[in-house]
Amino acid sequence: MVRYIFKRIMYMIFVFAVMSVILFFLYNLIPGDPARAEVESMKDTLTPQEYQLRYEQARERLGLDDPQYIRYYKWITKVLQGDLGMSSAFKKPVSEIIGTPLGVTVFVNIFSISLAFLITIPLGITCALKKHSLYDKTVQVVTIIGYSIPSFIFGLLFIYAFAVKLQWFPVSGMNTANFQGTQWEAFLDTMKHLALPLAVLTFSSLGGLTRYVRAAMGEALTMDCIKTARAKGLKERVVILSHAWRNALLPIVTLLIGWIMSVFAGSLIVERMFNINGMGKFFYDSLVKQDYNVTMAIQLFYVILALLGNLITDISYGFVDPRVRVNR
Amino acid sequence: MGTNNNKRSDKRPSFFAVLLSNLFGGKKKLSIYEEAQIQSPMKTIVKTFSGNRVAMTAFGIWLLIFATVIIGPFLNPVNLSYSETSQINIAPGFDMMDVPKALQGNIKKISVGPTFSVGLSNDGQLYTWGKTKVTNVLDMKNIPAEFGNIVDIAVGFDHAIALTEEGKIVGWGNNRQQQITQPYELEFVNNIKEIYAGYQCSIVLTEDGYSIFFGNDRNNDYIDFHPYQYKLQKIALTADAAMGLTFDGEVVYLGNQQNSYVRIPENMGKVVDIAATASTVAAVNEDGKVFVWGNVSVDKGEGNVPEVDGKIVKLEGGRYHYTAVTDSNKIVAWGSDVLNQINIPANISTLEAKDLFVGFYQNYVLTDTDEVKPFGHKGYLMGTDDLGRDLFNRLLNGGRMTMTIGAVAVFISTFIGVVVGCISGYFGGKIDMFFQRISEMISSLPFLPFAMILSALIGNSMTANQKIFLIMVILGVLSWPGLQRLVRAQVLSVREQEYVTAARAVGINRFTIVFKHILPNVISVIIVSATLSFGSSMLTEASLSYLGFGVQAPQPTWGNMLFGSNNSIVIQNYWWRWVFASIALGACVICINLIGEGLRDAIDPKSQER
Repeated sequence: MVRYIFKRIMYMIFVFAVMSVILFFLYNLIPGDPARAEVESMKDTLTPQEYQLRYEQARERLGLDDPQYIRYYKWITKVLQGDLGMSSAFKKPVSEIIGTPLGVTVFVNIFSISLAFLITIPLGITCALKKHSLYDKTVQVVTIIGYSIPSFIFGLLFIYAFAVKLQWFPVSGMNTANFQGTQWEAFLDTMKHLALPLAVLTFSSLGGLTRYVRAAMGEALTMDCIKTARAKGLKERVVILSHAWRNALLPIVTLLIGWIMSVFAGSLIVERMFNINGMGKFFYDSLVKQDYNVTMAIQLFYVILALLGNLITDISYGFVDPRVRVNR
Repeated sequence: MGTNNNKRSDKRPSFFAVLLSNLFGGKKKLSIYEEAQIQSPMKTIVKTFSGNRVAMTAFGIWLLIFATVIIGPFLNPVNLSYSETSQINIAPGFDMMDVPKALQGNIKKISVGPTFSVGLSNDGQLYTWGKTKVTNVLDMKNIPAEFGNIVDIAVGFDHAIALTEEGKIVGWGNNRQQQITQPYELEFVNNIKEIYAGYQCSIVLTEDGYSIFFGNDRNNDYIDFHPYQYKLQKIALTADAAMGLTFDGEVVYLGNQQNSYVRIPENMGKVVDIAATASTVAAVNEDGKVFVWGNVSVDKGEGNVPEVDGKIVKLEGGRYHYTAVTDSNKIVAWGSDVLNQINIPANISTLEAKDLFVGFYQNYVLTDTDEVKPFGHKGYLMGTDDLGRDLFNRLLNGGRMTMTIGAVAVFISTFIGVVVGCISGYFGGKIDMFFQRISEMISSLPFLPFAMILSALIGNSMTANQKIFLIMVILGVLSWPGLQRLVRAQVLSVREQEYVTAARAVGINRFTIVFKHILPNVISVIIVSATLSFGSSMLTEASLSYLGFGVQAPQPTWGNMLFGSNNSIVIQNYWWRWVFASIALGACVICINLIGEGLRDAIDPKSQER
């Protein structure tokens, strides 16, 4: 087991290195001269010779004339020490400003993901049990519609219905400006603002998840052990919850871990739509403002998140299903 | 519970059915395995699929949408540089020329605005029709009640003024430039002959040829002390200037700028009527010869005066076209035809016109029997957007773009996925290892952020068409790992079968074995996967364009048509700007996914439980 994890981590480091090289060269495609930008403000106060000298010194110091692989080496050593560069929009180190949006995203997504799983798991199981019944067929069609419609269309519909027509919830934002009240009231206010984005996030994930759970459960129910359990005369409840569910858990765990990882990633579309200052909107805004140090940092963060997710999935297989020997 | 048992008893044929089929032969129901003996798998698939009602309905709807967006753009091509400030955010509907019944046979004058018209009846009543809601706070339908009897009416861009029986000027609509506020000097005027309204301005002309201007004099070139006061018999307003016709039949410019309107043609002789479009002026002389000058545009064609029988005696100007009456009371029109405004229907071109009212995109012909026959622009099927573009046209052309991008992206991803999956599955070993690692890396990337980065970084120095191509490639190159894994698994399971071993023993080239002998066995998986990923590619393209990182406007796609609708004002007031594109995209992807599900059920005999 330890050897396996070690191997996986080595592989992760390899993939991370490859991805960082790709990202580095991608970002180097951006036209622009940081040295020129640095000395531009002094252009009027200096003689042309002095200006040229300063410019060349800046290029030297920033290492712009070095070969690409040396620049990459310098950059990656800085990143590994936690120095992600400066944000050009905030004029602060990236590592300082990334905390707030991350907190918001985690807060929002914990709610949406727990809601989604609370709804989809029972729904998927009941569908699998009543396969090909009217109930199942209805749910199938509804879930196809659910995952065929992009979240921004749900967002537009929900805003139109609940924020504009019924005026139950605010159109966007996280809390009322200058809100006065106790902490509990402030929490309620935030929840009121988050109701629509949460609904959209949950709704747009229902379709795919339900079908996934149904498929996993359906597969598990056709296994021989279920027939045996039924033949033994076990209660149907026990057969389903104890025997079938455990077998269905394996594919669901993969999904679950992917989703837990996405707690940190944030939704680009929904956060932008409802003006929630989470990771998705942060990424979008920095990309629009061309604040590339920030987008680069978030991108690296996403890569690490995905790799960690894969690792945890693989390891957890061993716990969920003893048949899977991870140290194979 | 015992659901399984119930189902089995449901499936059991009734006693009579068994009896009948035993007696008369009947049509024997075959199991999937028996069927496989007598018909090809493809035939079975087609048969099962066509028996699936939901999937067949979806297939029909999708074919309909597909045919519409493929054929539609040929009949209704998109003009990418088109924008029209007078047609912004118009609601769907064809009521722009619906003259009220009460007005028929009783008309004194009609004055036409950008999207609405105001009619004046002989008994001094005002009627409005068309899209009167000009902005979300301004509705031209709300005529103040205290006007009394009206004798003349003029409609401008978003305001209207009227002359009352007592000789007073009243008005309603947008007043930000004081274009409906009666100026002080009008208090002493009691001989008003005619009133005019233009873009943010109004002009009053008296019987003795004196003109009074009020409203925005920055945009409209007009000076109060022009040398032609007390000499004017008629005025025509372009979108930014005023022209006058003197009692002597001379055309004069009432501003002081040196622009193209000043270059009035010489040797026109005695001019009898003038008219103006948004950017040109036309005059007709005693001999019926028409002269057009100003900013005449070649593709709008305001200057292309047609040959007419007889001579033109009366001229009226719309937004970009002219309509005229000849001495034999026939109607002719020329100029721009983008909104069908010069297309005279047969029943109007033959009749005798008593009078003619024209403005913007509508023409109203008054017949001898005092009946109004309108022609021109009726309205928009799906409304217009914030640049005045017809949304139906954009929906058709956007659909073609969205489907093309989806199809090309699927083609790219299927091609890579099949090649990599086959090679990886068949050869195994180090090649397999290499491809699997690459595939894992790509699938571990968060899709949307990475696609955005690629589109922003690589695409920032590209032309519009290159960028569209870039989007296709990005979508294709980032989405092949899923199919690759499926194909690889299938190839692995087929690889050890006897016919492959036989082929190998005969010494056939390995690539021939993979692509000619093994591939046909996994084709069904590929078809299902390609169908489903066609839907998801369309969704991804829409999401990217919705975020502003996909196809850029003015090139329409279903995603970027929704790009501007992300604020509550648009969502609330201009619902047509997001509803139609959402429905089109949603319906199309739902159908594709239903087809994909149907195909999967048809191909996978296990999933049917017959």
